[in-house]
Amino acid sequence: MWIDSNAYIGHWPFRKFEYNTLDALLGRMKEFGTDMSIVSSLHGIFYKNPQQANQELYEELRSKSAYSSYFIPWAVINPAYGGWQQDFETCVTKMGMKGIRLYPKYHGYDIESSSCIQLVKMSRDKGLPVAFSLRMVDKRATSWMDLDEEWTLQDVLPIVRAVPDGKFLIVNVANSTALDDQDLALLKRAHLLMDTSGRLPGGGTNVLLCKFDELLSTLGVDKFCFGTHSPIQDYFTGRLRIESIGAHQIDEAGRDRLRSGNIQQLLAS
Amino acid sequence: MVMDRRNFLTSGALSTAGLMICPHLEQWPDPSRKQEGSGKVAEIDWMSEVKKYRKIDSHAHVSFYEGSAEEQLYFADKLGIEKLMISRPLTSMSQATPDNFKKANDLVMACMKRYPDRFTGMIFFNVAYQKESLQEIDRCVDAGMVGAGELYRQVKINDPRYYPIIEKFIDLKMVIMQHSVVGYSRVRWCPDEPQSGSSIPEDFVDIAKRYPEGIFQYAHIGGGVDWEYACKVLQHSPNVYVGLAGSNNAANMIDFAMQYIGEDRLVFGCDESYYQGVGHLFSARLTDAQRKKIFFDNYNSILKRSGNHVD
Repeated sequence: MWIDSNAYIGHWPFRKFEYNTLDALLGRMKEFGTDMSIVSSLHGIFYKNPQQANQELYEELRSKSAYSSYFIPWAVINPAYGGWQQDFETCVTKMGMKGIRLYPKYHGYDIESSSCIQLVKMSRDKGLPVAFSLRMVDKRATSWMDLDEEWTLQDVLPIVRAVPDGKFLIVNVANSTALDDQDLALLKRAHLLMDTSGRLPGGGTNVLLCKFDELLSTLGVDKFCFGTHSPIQDYFTGRLRIESIGAHQIDEAGRDRLRSGNIQQLLAS
Repeated sequence: MVMDRRNFLTSGALSTAGLMICPHLEQWPDPSRKQEGSGKVAEIDWMSEVKKYRKIDSHAHVSFYEGSAEEQLYFADKLGIEKLMISRPLTSMSQATPDNFKKANDLVMACMKRYPDRFTGMIFFNVAYQKESLQEIDRCVDAGMVGAGELYRQVKINDPRYYPIIEKFIDLKMVIMQHSVVGYSRVRWCPDEPQSGSSIPEDFVDIAKRYPEGIFQYAHIGGGVDWEYACKVLQHSPNVYVGLAGSNNAANMIDFAMQYIGEDRLVFGCDESYYQGVGHLFSARLTDAQRKKIFFDNYNSILKRSGNHVD
């Protein structure tokens, strides 16, 4: 069973995407053998009031009964925008959202701000994971109106330190994964997953080379899960990183954890 | 215990209040996919699919650190990449002196000698040192290297200092691969990109028009350039091949490139981003024949002009 932990529907202001509707995403899933996908709204990142986008996603999911068998909705919440506590409650209790997507860089708040920490604690109390993306798109090729800064893995750790018993999903790990011993210990202790959509580089001499195999050894198979970052990135590369792991590197049980076991555990209440 | 999809849906893990995640399984498995046994979706053996295509990585590198060559082959072996066109570019103007570019090419030659069946060398030089570059081309061709690249941002590809170099490569029937600007989509230039030496897509169009018999490779639409911009500009330059290498595996990049450049001028490459380089060609809407061309045939036809093709 394959669960894509990192997919979106909706629009992006600077480029046309395909496969960005529920039907189109479902087509991709069937083509590549993905059983279920976690989805959130892409354009919700750009709405001043992202709750409107959560409402749109909710209504789209309800438009066909079959969707509920394939999609696991997550909400985009902006804890710097008025009424977010009520939005959170509505998303969780009325809309059935199973996780929270946060975008501090796009929404203009600090990851260690009090409202961000409060939201992560509220999510923790409901048993919900919170996701951060190290980048949404490659800053080099995006629009002049887009962000010109990307995160490294180290940049998201302050929130893990602030809420160490929270549940975290870090997606599109495209930049350095280098951590000092203290941060490495924090990451290992945390209930935290990284998806396979990003480059997963090391922090050494060559940042282009993917270090997924080494990271599996140093951090353990329990820290990763399958993700595509679709429709922004190509649909197959995140899966190829898992498919190509040698039989000598990981057993079938470990492979299952990467395909879906770890994300199932993160989603479990 | 790792659950299957049906168990997962009915386990209660997702069925809290609000939008109930119910097991509407009547459309699963998709009837359009091949069935195995009773209702089980046939799994595609993706690694067999990946490995069934012969591949020439038109944009590979080796570095000076210990184990660099083996590191490249580790990924190439995993993904069934048969041949890697390796070079060691020097990225700054101050580094790229004749002494240093000779050392870079010596490294490539040493790697070719260690792995002759896997590595084929590409020559790096800096046209700011034109005389020394011409001498270095002779030395490297004698040693079995088969093209130029990845030439970097020391001198624009349409700079007149390039003319005798290009004429030499026309005589040799070999390709010239040149790095193109990154971050150009931001209107203002990326701070790392010297405007005086960085080639923009229009510079490739210009030189390709001046030398229609030249063979050029644009590096690279996954490498941080605005690939939509690049493909649109390069559309009508038939002697410019477009490299797909780079770490940016943006969705639809290949489909867009197919629309503007076409299946005969796109060449597979990784630039050390092996998973992206291979992965996006399987995500794209390509036929088997198109994938075969891009992974192997197109670049091999370039090599064939100088008699250096892979059998």
